[in-house]
Order: sequence, then C-alpha cells, then structure tokens
Amino acid sequence: MSDAKKIVLAEDNSTLSLLLKFRLEKEGYKLLIAADGKEAIEMIEQHDPELILTDIMMPFISGLEVISHVRNKLNKQTPIIVFSAAGQEEMVLKAFNLGANDFMGKPFSPNELVIRVKRLLR
Amino acid sequence: MESYQYLLDYLENAPTIIKVVWITICVFFIAVVILTIYLKYLRNRLRKNEKTVAEYQKEYESDLITYLYAGNEEEEISAEQQLIIDKLRSCASDEFKRRIIVSTLLRLRNEISGEMADAIQKLYFQSGLISFALKRLKSKKWYVVAKGIRELTQLRVKEADDKILMFVNHPKKEIRKEVQLYLVTLFHFEGLQFLDVLQTQLSEWDQIQLLEVLQRFDEQEIPDINPWLKSANDSVVVFALKLAKIYNQFEVKDALIDLLAHPQKKIRVDAIHVLSHLQVFEAKTVLKNNFDILSKEEQIEFFKLLENLCETGDEPFLLTQTTHQNFEIKLSALKILKTLSNEKFKDLKDFSTDADYVKIYEFLAYN
Amino acid sequence: MNTSTTEIILFIIHSLFFIYATFAITSYVILAIISAIETKEYMKKNSFVNYKEILSSTISPSISIIAPAYNESLNIIDNVRSLLSSHYVNYDVIIVNDGSKDDSLEKLIKAYDLVKVNFLINQQIPTKPIRAGVFKSTNPAFEKLTVVDKENGGKADALNMGLNISNNQYVACIDVDCLLLENALQKMVKPFLEVTEEKVIATGGVIRIANSCIIKNGKLLDVNLPKKLIEKAQILEYLRAFLLGRMAWSRLNGLLVISGAFGLFDKKIAIEVGGYDTNTVGEDMEIIVRMRRHMEEIKEKYKVAYIPDPLCWTEAPDNYKIFISQRNRWTRGTIETLRKHRKIAFNKKYKSLGMLSYPYWLFFERLAPVIEVIGIVYFAILMALNEVRWDYAIAFIVLAYFFTVLFSIVAIFSEELTYHQYKKKGTGIKLLVITALEPFVLHPFILYAAIRGNIDYYFNKKKKWGEMTRKGMAKA
Repeated sequence: MSDAKKIVLAEDNSTLSLLLKFRLEKEGYKLLIAADGKEAIEMIEQHDPELILTDIMMPFISGLEVISHVRNKLNKQTPIIVFSAAGQEEMVLKAFNLGANDFMGKPFSPNELVIRVKRLLR
Repeated sequence: MESYQYLLDYLENAPTIIKVVWITICVFFIAVVILTIYLKYLRNRLRKNEKTVAEYQKEYESDLITYLYAGNEEEEISAEQQLIIDKLRSCASDEFKRRIIVSTLLRLRNEISGEMADAIQKLYFQSGLISFALKRLKSKKWYVVAKGIRELTQLRVKEADDKILMFVNHPKKEIRKEVQLYLVTLFHFEGLQFLDVLQTQLSEWDQIQLLEVLQRFDEQEIPDINPWLKSANDSVVVFALKLAKIYNQFEVKDALIDLLAHPQKKIRVDAIHVLSHLQVFEAKTVLKNNFDILSKEEQIEFFKLLENLCETGDEPFLLTQTTHQNFEIKLSALKILKTLSNEKFKDLKDFSTDADYVKIYEFLAYN
Repeated sequence: MNTSTTEIILFIIHSLFFIYATFAITSYVILAIISAIETKEYMKKNSFVNYKEILSSTISPSISIIAPAYNESLNIIDNVRSLLSSHYVNYDVIIVNDGSKDDSLEKLIKAYDLVKVNFLINQQIPTKPIRAGVFKSTNPAFEKLTVVDKENGGKADALNMGLNISNNQYVACIDVDCLLLENALQKMVKPFLEVTEEKVIATGGVIRIANSCIIKNGKLLDVNLPKKLIEKAQILEYLRAFLLGRMAWSRLNGLLVISGAFGLFDKKIAIEVGGYDTNTVGEDMEIIVRMRRHMEEIKEKYKVAYIPDPLCWTEAPDNYKIFISQRNRWTRGTIETLRKHRKIAFNKKYKSLGMLSYPYWLFFERLAPVIEVIGIVYFAILMALNEVRWDYAIAFIVLAYFFTVLFSIVAIFSEELTYHQYKKKGTGIKLLVITALEPFVLHPFILYAAIRGNIDYYFNKKKKWGEMTRKGMAKA
C-alpha cells in the first residue's frame, strides 16, 4: 500500500469528497481530503502528493491560490485538476494560466474523473 | 423582615402612578430573569443542534456513498442497497432527520452527473422522500410550497410538472420563481413556454437565474422567440432580448427593429444593444435618421452600436456629434473617427475648443 | 413670580419630559415589533436562496468597490487583497489614495505590480485633482484593481473620484479596512435586481465588530467576543441598532442612513444628485437623504434596501478617546444633514420621509442627548433645592434602567435566532452582563460625545475643516 500514489483532494462539499475518495481508492490511490484551500496547502507541503484535485471556489483560500502556491512557492510541477461550476469560465482560464493541467465542470461524472486521473498519472 | 413590611406599607400608600411603575419594574425584572434562563437554554440547544446535524450528516453521507457503490449488474437493487433504502425510509418520517437526508442528497446531486446522479434520484423515490416533497405543494404556507418545488427541481422530478404548473401565476413571487426554475431546469427551452401565459413581471434576478440554468445545457436549438419579443408583458420582452443576444438570434432582426419604437425606453435601449451585438446594419440607418429625437440613453447606446458598425459614410454625422453635450457620446464619436481614419483624425485637433473635447482628443491622440 | 405660576411652569416641564419619554419608549417598542416581523419574513425568504447560483453569472450586473484610503500604509496590502477576493464575478476594485503622506502608494505599486496608465476621466462630480496618476496592475491576477492617487480632499471627495472613475452600474462604497465576506456583493446587489415595480436606489449593510476576531489573509476565520468592556458594549449597541432599529426602518422604507463603511448605490442616481457632499462630516447619511429627496421630487417610486446579514466586519474603537471623537463626528454629521435638509421636515410633499423618518431622527437621534442633558441639569437643580421627590425619581430611574436592559436582551435574542455569530460557550452570559453594565460604561460616554459634538458644531467650526482634510476616515 505504501507505493500507492497519493492524491490531495481539496473540496468544501464533504459528501462529494467522500464519494470521490471511495471511487479513487477503489482504483488503488491514496486520498487525502482537505475541506478548504488552507488545509490543502498544508497537506500538499506535508505529503508531496502525485496529483492534486481542487475546487476553484472554497472558503478561506481559493483553488486558484492553491495552484499558485504549488507552482510558484513550492515550484512543483505536480499535475493539478480543477473543478469549476457553470459560469466560471473566466476562473478556469486563470487556473490554466497559473498552471492547472485539466479541469472538470460541475456537475461531472465520477467515472470521467477517474479516466482523467489515470491519464495524468500514467 | 421589618424593612420588608415597611416597603409594603410604603407601596400601599403610594400614589397610583408609583404603584404602576413598580409593578411594571417587577414585570420587567421577571422578564429579564426568564429571558436569561431561556437564552442559556436556547444557546445550548443551538450548539447541540449544530453537533447533532453534523453527526447525522456524516452518517447519512456514508449511507449514501455505500448505497451508490453497493449496486451490481445483476439486480436492480442489491440487498445492501435495500437495507439503506429501508433505513432512510424509516428516518424520513422524522422531520428533523428528513431535512438532513434531503440536504445530503442534494449536496451531491448538484455536483455530479451521469449514472450516480440517476442512482441518487432513484434512492429519493425508493425511500419515499418524494412523497413528502409532493405533500409540501399542498401547504398553505408559501415558503413550504416554494421549498417543495425547489427540492423537486434539484432532484429532477419531472412527474410533478402538472401540479407545479398550477402555480405559474401565483401571487407570491418566490413561488413563481421556483416554478420557473423548475420548468427550465427540467424541460430546458421547452420549459420557457410559461412565458406565453405569464401575467406578472419577471425581475432581473429571475431572468439572470433562468439564463444561468439555460446556459448549463449544451443544446443551442432554441425555440422561436418572436412571440416573446412581441409580448404585452414588458419583462418577457426584456428577457427575450437577452435570449436573442446570448443565442445570436439573427433571424428575429425584424422584430428587434420594430422594438426600436417600443413605448418603454429600457426596451428600446436593450434592443439597440442586441442589434449592435448582432451587427444589423439596417438598424443603424433607422437610428441615425431619428438620432435627434432619441433619448439620451438611446443615443449613448446607439454610439456603442456605431463603434461596432461604423463605415466611412458615417463621418459627416460623427463630426457633428463631436460637439454633443454628452461626454460619452463625444468620446465615442471621436474614437470612431480615429478608427475610421487616423489621418483625418489628426486634422481634428483644433476642431473645437470645448474643454472636454480637448481632453478627449488628447487622450485619444496618445493612446 | 408667585407659587401658582411656578407650579404651572413646573407642571408643563414635567409633562413635556413625560410625553417625550412615553413617545420614545413607544417608538422603541413599535420598532422592535416591526423588526421582529421583518426579520421573520427575511429569514423565510432567504432560507432557500442559493447565492452560489448568481455569484458565478457573467450576466450579473457590474459593481465597483470604491475604497478611499488615507495613510493606511500599515494594512493596505492585506486590505486590498481581501477586497480582491470576493466571489462575485463582474466587479472591480477602485482604491482612492486620498493624498496620503505615507508610503501607501509605493507599497501598493510594489505588491500589485502597478503601472501608471493613461486614463480618461469623465469629471461628472468636481473633485480635487489627480496627483501621481491612475494605476493598473500588469499581473492578470490583479486585473480587477485600479488605484487612483489624488490630492487630499477628505473621504467624500475621494468617494466622488471613485464615482467618476467607475464604469460600472453599481458602486459599493466602503472603508478600506473593512473585511467583506466573499458573498457580500451578491447579497447586497440582490435587492436592486428583485424589484419590478419600484427602483432601489441603495442597499445598506450591517457592520459587525471585528475586534478580537481572528482574521488571516483577509479572511474571517473565527468570531470572538472581545475582552474590553468598551468593545463588548459597542457590540451590543451595534446589535440593537442594526438588528432592531434599521431592520424596522427598512420595513417602513424609512432608512435615513447607510453605514459609510458599507453601502451599495445605483451609480447613475448617485451621480445625478451630485455625489457625496464634501462639506459635511456625515457624508454617508447626507447622500441618502439627498437621494431620497431627489426621488421624491421627481416622483418616482423608490426604496432604500437593507441586508441584515453579517457581511462587513471592521475594527471598532477600543479606547474612550477615539470612541468619543468618532461619536462627536457622527453627531455633527447628523446635525449638518438634518439642517441642510430641514425643508423636508413635516413636509407632506415628502410623504413618510418628511412626516416620519425626518421627525424621528430629529427628536430621537438628534435631540435625545440634548434633552437628556437638560433633564439631568434640571434634576441637579431640584436636588440642590432639595425639591426632589425621591419616591418618583427612584421608581422612574429603575424603570428606565430595566427597560433598557430588556430592550438589549431582545436584541441579543434577535441575534441568536438569526445569525448566532457568537457561538462559543459562555458568551451568552457575558453578553447579558454587558446589557446590565452598558448603561453605565458606554452610555455616559455616548452622551458626552454627543454634547461635545453639539458644542463643536455651533462654536468650533474650525475643527471640522482640520479634521476633514487631515483625517476624514470615519468608521461605520
């Protein structure tokens, strides 16, 4: 289990977090759940995950700031997938500018997320 | 004891007003004491409530997740799933628990699509939660009805449409809004048919929400909006104008041009805005010929249209407008002249000595 | 003077005091009842509004946040960062550096990669001229930010500059050191968009006291009740004013003031009436009265809306010196506004504005401290003459005290049943203790400041000018 790839998931909707955790752990990944951007940054610094999933809009620290922190402060190229709600196209563009690798618009299908995660972690 | 007796004697012999005042003070004092105790109780309850809600939420969350992953190919509902359905069904009879269950379902339903979303809806039906929402529609309290409709919307319960349609012209605007959102969320553009029968005004807030919902769908096939542009309900016209812009409805340009003569100023201004977006050149001629009788707002909007659709032939007109008293129009006129011909723009340096003119000219010359 | 005339005069004086007190108490009770009705309805209406749905909409109307800053170098970077983190999509932030003498501008330029840009200003309201220029960021992450550096002209002048510069439909005028919650703008803009029959000209927000709260990176992380009496007493005062007073007045559509620290305006109307008045220290109240007056005069149906949600948090004075000078300024602002617009007083043409709101403000806000002092002086004279009927005096003083305490407790209940911001155990009892102490620890200072304000207004006009150009940043 120790060689399982680690994923940090930052999402303020706990039900969704739990669902994705189950789904991705079934695929053999190890999930670390953060409820907001602040927790996410702490986890990323501590565990150095192989992949980051983050919602754009979260309390305290937004997903954009998480991306910026990873790319500019930690200087890491960890792949990042962002979740966005309808109408946040502008934010998604910003996320890509900051260095996000992929995005999923909510509502999304968990199965599709698994496919994208696998592709990025191949 | 003695002083107590003394006080009683004093009060007995005091004037009526003093008696009244002291009685009021006693009432106030008792009220303060009771409220103090009640506040303590209330705060405790609120704190406990928060904790209980969080606990239940966690429990139902994991039930829901288990349910979603317990399905298999062979059976429609696996034994494990049935267990959870039964559990939720029994919890649902308790209003407090039901609210938490529903909010848990909704929290997930709003974020995901595909098979899992369908599975959540199935759970909603199977556990009998839906019957409570339908019951709410019969309530006499408007907010209960509105919340019921909202729940049915979020869980995409198409079956309730005829019941919900009854509320289309309900006097309470909160209910009307939920009805509209229901129709559009479930039936997309087809749901907009309610605009044909709407007697009340759609607020700007309603319109934004409806457009937000519509924009979530990929289909771009939109119904004929001509009738709405001709609606007697002004807010429907305004809404149709927004649709025309967002979905580039070039086909309705004749109806749009007709709206330039609409009695409502806001509609005329919005119509110019949409015509500009759709680049309808005919509109330019109509408006240019009537320019002097347009209201200030229309004139400003017309200049925005000109910035989009100007041609060399407009130069003489623009030149006369560089001395217009409105700052925005002056700016716009000069800006367009510069885009049309930088050479000729240079000759305009001393065209007017008006202070705003000079300021605008210099700004444009160096930008 | 014979005894009977003296008796008659005394009787008249007593009756006047009695009538005044009865009216004041009745109005408080009525306001509390109206506020309860309005609060209940507001909570019902908002219990199922999903603000997440509009916040992302790009069709939503455009808003400019205008924040004047004067010598705010210490916190300006964090404050701006907080203003930039709103979840509303269609908005920008205009920081007006009002002739600061410190290094605010340099700090901003450095922190936000600002460069001077060529900017055309439509000078619809006259203001002091631009000093260093208009600045924008080269970093796309801060594209919403505009910084204007102008010569010092006071808060009103700085806000007017912001009104001239903004290209948006609505303007949120706020103090730069305010902390706005992320969903503040969509909640405040909602009343403008909901109406169909009338026009909303402005929306007022609630000011909450941020002393002792934990704030990090411009986000409110934890709400705490502060330690000092003066801070706690102000919390209670704000709860009463915002949850009971303003809530009721919003129901009556009679709001005369929107906190200068946080209000959202229809920009077109604000400019139409000429923007903020640079000749008063109470520009936040004055502009609302003027906008209302304008709407009455052009005979259009309008409303000043109010959002009771705790959206804006700011530091309140934590010592008596600053507190007194703040209240002194508020008093003068009220006097100036009421005097400037005395035409609307008891004028039927202005309907409830002239017949209800204005008289209420005049009698129960403007004159209350004056009447109270007259009462105290009168009581002192009677004491000196040994003419006090102690049985009456004590009974009424105790009655007044218990009424005040009860009213404060109602405000606390109002808070607990709606927003319940002070969740920590033991806070409830602390708030109750404050209701009992507040009449002694805060009220005398409010009274003193109000009297000082009156004296300064009538006998010390110079003070105003010095203050307006040098300081000019009012809280709440």
